[in-house]
Amino acid sequence: MTAQAALILLVSPFIVGLIRKVKARLQSRRGASLFQPYADLLKLLRKETVISSNASWLFTATPYVLFASTFAASLLVPLFLSRVPLNFAGDVITVVSLLTLGTFFLMLAGLDTGSAFGGMGSSREAIVFSLTEPATILAIFAVGLTAGSTNLSTIVHDTAVTQGFVRDPPPHLMALAALFIVTLAETGRVPVDNPATHLELTMIHEAMILEYSGRYLALIEWASAIKLLLFLTLLSNVFAPWGIATEADPARMALATGAWALKVSALAAVIGVVESMFAKLRLFRVTDLLGAAFILSLLALVFFYILRG
Amino acid sequence: MPSSSVLGHPDLGSQLINLCSMLLLLTAFAIVAQRRLSACVDLFALQSVFLAVTAVLVAWFTGSLHIYVAALLTVVIKTVAIPIILKKVIERVNVKREVEFVVNIPPSLLICGALVILAFSVTEPISKLGFLLTRDSLAIALAIVLIGFFTMIARKKAVTQIVGFLMMENGLFLGATASAYGMPLIVELGVFFDVLVAGLIVGVYAHRLQDTFDSVDTTKLTGLKE
Repeated sequence: MTAQAALILLVSPFIVGLIRKVKARLQSRRGASLFQPYADLLKLLRKETVISSNASWLFTATPYVLFASTFAASLLVPLFLSRVPLNFAGDVITVVSLLTLGTFFLMLAGLDTGSAFGGMGSSREAIVFSLTEPATILAIFAVGLTAGSTNLSTIVHDTAVTQGFVRDPPPHLMALAALFIVTLAETGRVPVDNPATHLELTMIHEAMILEYSGRYLALIEWASAIKLLLFLTLLSNVFAPWGIATEADPARMALATGAWALKVSALAAVIGVVESMFAKLRLFRVTDLLGAAFILSLLALVFFYILRG
Repeated sequence: MPSSSVLGHPDLGSQLINLCSMLLLLTAFAIVAQRRLSACVDLFALQSVFLAVTAVLVAWFTGSLHIYVAALLTVVIKTVAIPIILKKVIERVNVKREVEFVVNIPPSLLICGALVILAFSVTEPISKLGFLLTRDSLAIALAIVLIGFFTMIARKKAVTQIVGFLMMENGLFLGATASAYGMPLIVELGVFFDVLVAGLIVGVYAHRLQDTFDSVDTTKLTGLKE
């Protein structure tokens, strides 16, 4: 399905723009155009790239690895059709490991140039990532257990066929709360990281990519946008697969694309509101938040065994 | 008396009630993970709103009118009156606005997780025999009672202790609504009055603590000598 690939590549910068717009409006600013991220990407792609003379091959390989792995992961998540393009290639574990691969390379690249900020960013990212990882996996497993599969297509298809009426609300609700916190942490949104800051003491993601410029930076920015879209799609389609097409029928697929666009935009708006409502947590408080996410997803899993076991 | 098959879906009632009880449990966790005193009170008010919604749902699906009255009382007393009293206490005894812990947040969350598992395994044999409509709610109610109890033990300030106490009361109310479709109205009225009085007493108690120790930290009470 090239349509899903094209849609993900094209829509992802728009979501970033949408979140910025919502935040700007809530702060009584007019904000940049919704299409500003596209312009930024184009500008960066045309700019000259500067590479530190200390940098090794890792530094130049990372943007490509990150982009390719994130993009591949996004093709494994059902978007408008419950059968995904790369269904044969793997399940939700593949998605998570592909994302981990990208993040791992990014952390290495942060360390590679030997700048103080890069190393600091990488070590912080490692803390955050090691805490979100178990919560993500457990949350999706809790949902997978209800559907009886770890395959995202099957999970979404199963729920979509039963009219989107989730069979076991309690575990799903806990998993949803956990996955929402994880989404904020993994995509570097406000309570954990601030995507708009270059203040040395607080940045996590921005510190790692500080040394990048030109087309490499464009690739990384684009990859983070895709990752954000991937998580939003995961949230909306795993927990509320309303309107998703269960067979490849053009009319239903068009409708499903519309429904998906609505759901994802609504979630993006929610993230914009959350970012405006909360202040960034101190780094050592982040463990509280992510600990809560982990406990929630663990409980979702335990619920399944106790209630249905 | 409408059966549980209203609105065409056989489990809709039970699903909605479970969902709402789950929101109660989620807010209980949020209270445990909260560091700011006033946010604790706000979250308690939110929890009471969910409790009222659950009660209304039970009333709707079982057709018992007196639960509507209980739901209304929940809204008036627990989401309006008590939060106002507690907010005033926090404002007037103008101390550090942060919650003080005996057990820190991450271990607290772990312990509460364990408590939930305990509650579920204890009620499992009963739930199997229970009503179809409120299958999971009894376990959730017990879990909330335990978490409330834990909050009273693990937090030092008088205000957080009353929030823990009220959370326990919310759990008990949920349990009564879920397992017995509500208590007799006269009992419920008595309970609501007790809760309101407890709120007032803690207000006074917090003031006395503040006067005597310049703090509302209840651990200082152990230092009292004859």
